[in-house]
This record gives sequence, structure tokens and C-alpha cells, in this order.
Amino acid sequence: MRAITAAESTAPQGATAVARPARRRRLLPKQLTGSPLALVALGMVAAWIAVAFLAPALAPYDPLSQSISARLTEPSAAHWLGTDPLGRDVFSRILYGARLSIPVGMIAVTLAVVLGTVIGGSAGFVGGTADEAIMRGTDLMLAFPTVILALVITAALGPGIRNAVIAIMVAWWPSYARLVRGIVLSLRDREYVMAARALGGSRLRIFLRHVLPGTISPVVILGTLDVGHAILTFASLSFLGLGPPPEIPEWGSMIAAGRNYLDQWWISTFPGLAILTLVLAFNVLGDGLRDLLDPRYRSR
Amino acid sequence: MTLYRYIVRRVLLLIPMLIGITVLSFILSHTIPADPIATNLGDRAAADPAIVAAFKHRWGLDQPLYKQYLVYLWHLMHGDMGTSISTRQPVVLDLRQHLPATIEISMAAMCLSLVAGIPLGMLAAVNRERPLDQAARLTSLIGVSTPAFWLGLVAIVIFYQRLGWAPAPARLSADLTPPPFITGFLPIDAIVSGRWDAALDWLRHLILPAVVLSAYSLGIVTRMMRGSMLEVLGEEYVRTARAKGVTRWAVIVRHAARNALIPVITMVGLSFGGLLSGAVVIETVFTWPGLGLYAFSSATSLDFPAIMGTGIVVASVYVIVNLVVDVAYAFSDPRIRVG
Repeated sequence: MRAITAAESTAPQGATAVARPARRRRLLPKQLTGSPLALVALGMVAAWIAVAFLAPALAPYDPLSQSISARLTEPSAAHWLGTDPLGRDVFSRILYGARLSIPVGMIAVTLAVVLGTVIGGSAGFVGGTADEAIMRGTDLMLAFPTVILALVITAALGPGIRNAVIAIMVAWWPSYARLVRGIVLSLRDREYVMAARALGGSRLRIFLRHVLPGTISPVVILGTLDVGHAILTFASLSFLGLGPPPEIPEWGSMIAAGRNYLDQWWISTFPGLAILTLVLAFNVLGDGLRDLLDPRYRSR
Repeated sequence: MTLYRYIVRRVLLLIPMLIGITVLSFILSHTIPADPIATNLGDRAAADPAIVAAFKHRWGLDQPLYKQYLVYLWHLMHGDMGTSISTRQPVVLDLRQHLPATIEISMAAMCLSLVAGIPLGMLAAVNRERPLDQAARLTSLIGVSTPAFWLGLVAIVIFYQRLGWAPAPARLSADLTPPPFITGFLPIDAIVSGRWDAALDWLRHLILPAVVLSAYSLGIVTRMMRGSMLEVLGEEYVRTARAKGVTRWAVIVRHAARNALIPVITMVGLSFGGLLSGAVVIETVFTWPGLGLYAFSSATSLDFPAIMGTGIVVASVYVIVNLVVDVAYAFSDPRIRVG
């Protein structure tokens, strides 16, 4: 049925996904394999992951080796995507960039998800004043735009890959905390939880064994669809000079390196296309997964 | 609950929120490993014990941390956020000069994404799962997946460097004397002082960064409008209107879209933070002298009074925008205040 009341539609998204009866399991949900667009996206993500693994074998040049004679050469047979101001091969650097961006995006999201789950989950489960205080705290964190927060954090800790990851984690955990809290609240008073309580299970055990597992599937899905966003945020921070040092092949800083060479358009253009294709693929996949979570968008 | 009481309650809730923002900014900026005396006073003044003592006393630096916070709050309530280390100006003055530029660019981007995103989302919903819907969906996904700073550079290369259609990245042409500073909003100041040339020049400079910045929020608005529209199109009153013989487009525009807009407006408020994040990068690409550029330069030079001030202002703007949105929502949807 398409018709849905306002009350239902404002219920936490995850709750419906958790409550659904188990179906025959597929390797991948239909939403991902059903549409050609999603299949292309899946192939794209797989291809980029393969590139990340195989970069040393695929790259025609050493991404760090500089060559004064080959500075700023146009895309050619020797250098498919041209060279940068230091004569480094743009194509090789892009391939190596995948080795950094993909794991960084995944790690940043994982850390934010874990932190958000622990904080939001315990807030929802404990309830009362502690819950109120924690949730107001997350509201507060959410009032600071991600990049501004990340700017301040990396300014405080100094630029670098680790600190950029920390910045993304700090900026993002509140939204996961909110989500997990909502799900925990909806699960806390379910009959099976009450039954476990009646059987004499300790609070910690009930929380860990019976409530927390219910939050995992929606959180994993939402986390997956945020990996693309995290890669984009990391690239923005690097572009601003808050990521890894410039010699490390990273897409955001490669784009920044091309800022003063606008005539040599290839220096910035190709790393940008790399970010765009990878993030777009993640987002197309995430879009399908979101449909899976949200019954409003699910086809009959 | 009456509408009046609802508004009063929401405004009162704003106070602890704003205090929280100052606490958080204070904590964040105190994690920055910089010596406030050396950075604030400069070498010569820092060598003079009397000046150092006076500075410490003024900002309570000789007091425990919570007292330092209270001193800061006291100064803040009197409109004093300290002096920026890099510009050597009061932070309040800096912010007053930079905030309008950011508001200009974010409002322009928001308007563009609403103007384009609402019809796009409507069309997508009406043509659900047909090619037009797929195209709109792909467009909005590309919008949220494109690195704004890269799009900005590409736009500069194409429209400024190659085609020469856009002016050099800035807020105003360098050879033009800016209009006198009245409100800080360039178009208003220009028009008030009769400088139409400056207003037009500003508009020419605004277009490119605003379009680039709007790409992200366009994606969000389109997707929200589509989802919200699909929900409304399934409602019974829409079917009733159709059954009465109202034409298809009249139902879509007059009955469905009006109601579908309400949740979109809320989302616009929430995505304002994302817009401000985007503004930071876009402003550095287009050298647009807004809060983003200011935040960036103060963060990289460890200018913590400036960072703290920016954090407080940006977060407060976000909170207030959302308050306004919630109140507007309550006006348009009685279910909210009854609930």
C-alpha cells in the first residue's frame, strides 16, 4: 500500500526494517541487483577497490618520483593523464590515491558508527536524565557544520591523515547516536526484551544480547551509504591543506595542487573525476539501500 | 498548546542551546595548542610584564578554566569576542564584515536549489520509475557526489578562463571602489548608496559560486520533494480531487505540491549546516570574503579567538534558522502544535 499516515512515516526508519520477518536470504538485496544503475555502481565500487589493491601493479610510474623534464606535460601516450608541476604521473597518483581514500572513508565511518552506537545506544537504554543530557549534547554537536568542526579539530591537532579521520568521527557520531537511540527506544519495551528481563537477565546482558543486535542492520546500511560522503569530506579537508602532506598521492590535495595551474587543466580535472565516480557509485548503492530501509520507497 | 505558547517554549529552549554552543566552542578552542599571550600580544608586548599581566587579567587567564569561561561569557554578552590574532581587529568587527558575504552566497545557492529542485522533484514523483524519474534521481545523486571545490575550479577554468563569460573570482571587481559599509550586504549597501554599477558587478560575481554551491543542496531538495510528493499523491484527498474532475496538473500543483512542500522546508533548515560547510570550501576557491574564508584562515593560523567567535556565530545561525523553520512549520501545520 502506498498510503501511509503521518505518524507512521515519522517513526524511526530503522524500526520497520528490524521488525520485518526474515525472508529467504540473498547474497545481495534485490534493490541492488534489480536496477541496471545499481549494478553499474556496484561494478564501479568493486573496480575502485580492485584498483586500490592492485595500484602498485597497475601504475605505470612511481607516484612519488619527480621528473623536471616531464613537468606539466599534456595527456599523451607516455602519460595518459598528463603530469603535475613536479613531473609526477597524474594517472599513477590517482591509482595510488584510491589506496588512501577508500580505507580512510571506511575507517572514519566505522569509528563514528561505533562511537555513535555506544553513546546513543546507552542513552536510549538507560533513559531518564542521562538520556536527556546526552541527546541535548548531540543536538549541540549537530549545530556545528561538519567542515567548520573538522577545521577546528584539525587546527587543534595539526593536519594529517589520522587527525582528519578523528575530525570526521567527532563531527559525525552524533547523527548515528540519534539513530541508534531511536531504534533502542523502540526495542526496549518489546515483549522479548521484557521476557528476558522477567527471566532475570542483567541490564547489561539484555542490552548487549537482545537490544543492541537489533540496531546493527540499519546502522550498517546507513554507515555504508555514508562512506561516499566521508570520502568527499576527507577530500575537502585535504584540499584545504588539512589532510596528508602534499607529496602523498591524495585526490583532494592533488586538486589543490592544480589550482595555480588552471591552463594545465588535467592536473585538477582527473582527480576530481576519480572522486566523483567513486562517491557517486557509493551514493547510488546507498540510495538503493535506503529504499530497503524505508518502506515508503519500497516497491510493492 | 496554542501557537503563541509553542513559540515561547521554542524560544526559551534556544537559551540553553546558545549557552551550550558557547561552552562547546570554548572547550574546542582551548584544545588548540597555542599560547594565547604570545599569539595575541605580539613579541614586543609579550616581553612587557605589565601588559601581559593586564591581558591575563582582562581575559581571566590567571583564573581557573571555568572562571575563564565565565569571563568570556561576560565579555560576549557585552559584544566583545576578543581580538583576532591575524587581523588585529576585534573579532566581532571581523565577523560583522564576513558574515553578510556568506549569507549572500548561501541564500543565493539555497534559492537556486529550491527553484530548480522543487519542480524537478515534482516531475520525478509524477513520472515515478519512468526515465524522467531516473534522470532526476541521477542528477540529484551527481549533485551530492561532486566535490564542490573541484566543480568550482572546473567552472572557473571553463567560464572565466576559456569562455571569458564570468569575471575573475572575487566578490567585487578589483578596479571598482566598494560602496560604503552600511549593512555589510553588498547589494543592499550598493543600492542604498545609489551605486548600481557595484550591485550589478556583485551579481555577476555571485552567479558562478552560487550555482556551484547549489549543486549539493539541489540534490537534497530534489530527493526530498520527490519522496514527499509521492507520499501526498497517495492520499485520499488527492484521489477525491481527481474524481471530482479537477485536471491532473491542477491536482498536482494546487493540491499535492502545496502539502508536499512542508517537509521540504524543514529539510532546508536542517541542510543549512551542510550549505555552510560547502561555503567554507567554495569561498576559498572563489576568494569570496565570507565566514568560510575567515574560518579557514583563522583555523590554519591558530587564531583561536577568531575560531571561537566563528564557531559561536555559525552554530547560532544554524540553531536560529531551524527555530524559524520550526515556527513556520507550526504556522502551516496545526498538527505540530497540538501534538
